Amino acid sequence: MTPPRPAPAQEAQQDRRRPRPRPAEEKTVRISDRRFALFLMTPAALFLAVFVAFPLFRLVADSFFKISPIAGGPRDFVGLDNYFRAFATEAFVGAGWRTLAYTLVVVTLEFALGLGMALLFTALGRSSQIWRTVFMYPLMIAPIVAGLLWKFLMIDNFGLIGTLLHQAGVLSNPNQIGWLSDPNIVLFSVAIPDIWLTTSFMCLVLFAGLQNIPGDLIEAARLDGARAPALLFRIILPLLRPVIAVALVVRGIDAARAFDTILIQTNGGPQSASETMSLLIYRTMIRFGDPGLASAMGTLYLLAMLTVAFVAVSTIWRPGKDN
Amino acid sequence: MRVAERTTHDAGAPARVPTEPAAHAATRPSRRRGRNREGLEAGRRGTRALLWVLLATAMVLYGFPFLYLLFTSFKTPIDTIAVPPTILPREWTLENYTNALGRGGVLASFINSVQTAIISTVLSLVLAVPAAYGITRYKTLSGRIFIMAALVTRMVPPVAIGIPLATMMASIGLSDTPIALSIAHTTISLPLSIWLMSSFFEAVPNDLEEAATVDGCSRLGALWRVVIPVVSGGIAVTAIFAFLASWNEFLFALLMTAIRSQTTPVVIANFQTQFGLDWGSMTALAAVYSIPVILLTLLLQRKIVAGMTLGAVKG
Repeated sequence: MTPPRPAPAQEAQQDRRRPRPRPAEEKTVRISDRRFALFLMTPAALFLAVFVAFPLFRLVADSFFKISPIAGGPRDFVGLDNYFRAFATEAFVGAGWRTLAYTLVVVTLEFALGLGMALLFTALGRSSQIWRTVFMYPLMIAPIVAGLLWKFLMIDNFGLIGTLLHQAGVLSNPNQIGWLSDPNIVLFSVAIPDIWLTTSFMCLVLFAGLQNIPGDLIEAARLDGARAPALLFRIILPLLRPVIAVALVVRGIDAARAFDTILIQTNGGPQSASETMSLLIYRTMIRFGDPGLASAMGTLYLLAMLTVAFVAVSTIWRPGKDN
Repeated sequence: MRVAERTTHDAGAPARVPTEPAAHAATRPSRRRGRNREGLEAGRRGTRALLWVLLATAMVLYGFPFLYLLFTSFKTPIDTIAVPPTILPREWTLENYTNALGRGGVLASFINSVQTAIISTVLSLVLAVPAAYGITRYKTLSGRIFIMAALVTRMVPPVAIGIPLATMMASIGLSDTPIALSIAHTTISLPLSIWLMSSFFEAVPNDLEEAATVDGCSRLGALWRVVIPVVSGGIAVTAIFAFLASWNEFLFALLMTAIRSQTTPVVIANFQTQFGLDWGSMTALAAVYSIPVILLTLLLQRKIVAGMTLGAVKG
């Protein structure tokens, strides 16, 4: 997001003068401005260092040890052994693929639905304002509640969805689809509450982006004979790209970390078919009592997230090339 | 109302979008208003009617799950798991509510949730407001590095730092307290708050506190007396998001609390295992836990809009 910088020392010198060009006599004020800025940022930076960076450091450090789950138990340095063990287990590799599939499903559906709703709201204009507010409501609901609610809707025997589909004649039997008990589809079923919860977010962001598209541009394209699909793919989506990039990255990160909704619906089952990385790490840490292995998994998970996020930001967003 | 959209947008999108800008949108309401009518807004009456039907369908589908939760919470416990299920209760009763709220630990968990969320919100704001101001106003290298670092913290999976954090809290004697949990929640809401506040400060013109400093205010005084009042709407939005992040959080609460400081999401989840499948009580408790925040947010929305408009006028 920031352009590549020269050597830090040089940079620091330049920086004193750069921010807002002012008369030369104010240079001394500038220096103390830097101190003042630092002074303002220090408490928050300290907080993040102590409560985020330090635990992260512990996580990475722990990944090189074999640790007894009992407090005060032995810690043996084992090098990269935990990493080899992680890759050797089917559970880890499987959870990696499932997390990827889950994230793609969630983000794709949310994007399609969110864009649809945002276009609908834009097309209806100001008169849809109240409904935009109402549409936001799932954002306030706890993921744990959403997971519970959808579990209740999809559960075998007394789940409402199967019954309604049966009554509508789609299914021959209310239990024909085992939403949460069929290992082949459970990963998609557990994604539904997540999609339901945060499509609103996608919609809000895209809606705001749509408001920034100049109306004259759309008019001009219409006069040139552009029809709806051309308008969408040639004009609207390219102009929205930075907004889309941010929305996809933010939601992608959240979806890849999904925990609450899946835990409450299936606890990763049946047969680990819905066990994503967060759940696997949690289980390795708490249930199987192997903090070393769990830390190695956590470190790999974090590295993967960082890599994907940076690649996504730099390819979709492409700062500088659009402006 | 355009300003309202800005607000919700900024509030929802933590990372700032390069082309997007609370400031500009807010300062030029008149120009923006005219745009859409001639742009993407549908003109023909037939098309509009069709779109309204589409919207109504979407809203019904989208709203139905939560309505079903509410209806279920008023059913009798037996009706809750009747086969086949009905949408509306055959008989309306508050039995599920009395069952759920009468259970040991449920009311205490509410108090814990409120306490934790308030402490975490205050902590986030106290740390984020000055930091965001320092970042946006002085645009130093350290500020840029700091906001990037905050961005990276957002990618950290909570499950990865939950255990080390819990160990840390135990070693300083804070285990199983609302303070420990609210600190953990602040690790989530602080980066979010810093971005939100940065975009709100971005909207405040520099001249404002420059004028104040010329008038003899110190820089801290200018921040406190001039800039903070202008961004109070933004602070309200940020506070709501920090509050919600803590109120709805589950994983840290699960890892870091035992009996004393358990929050309601953990209690809701425990219903499933401890008491078999008591769906009725669970739906009732879920409704009680969700409705206040939904109402609060919808009610406060107007205030937030007003706050933002006030800030916009100054620009």
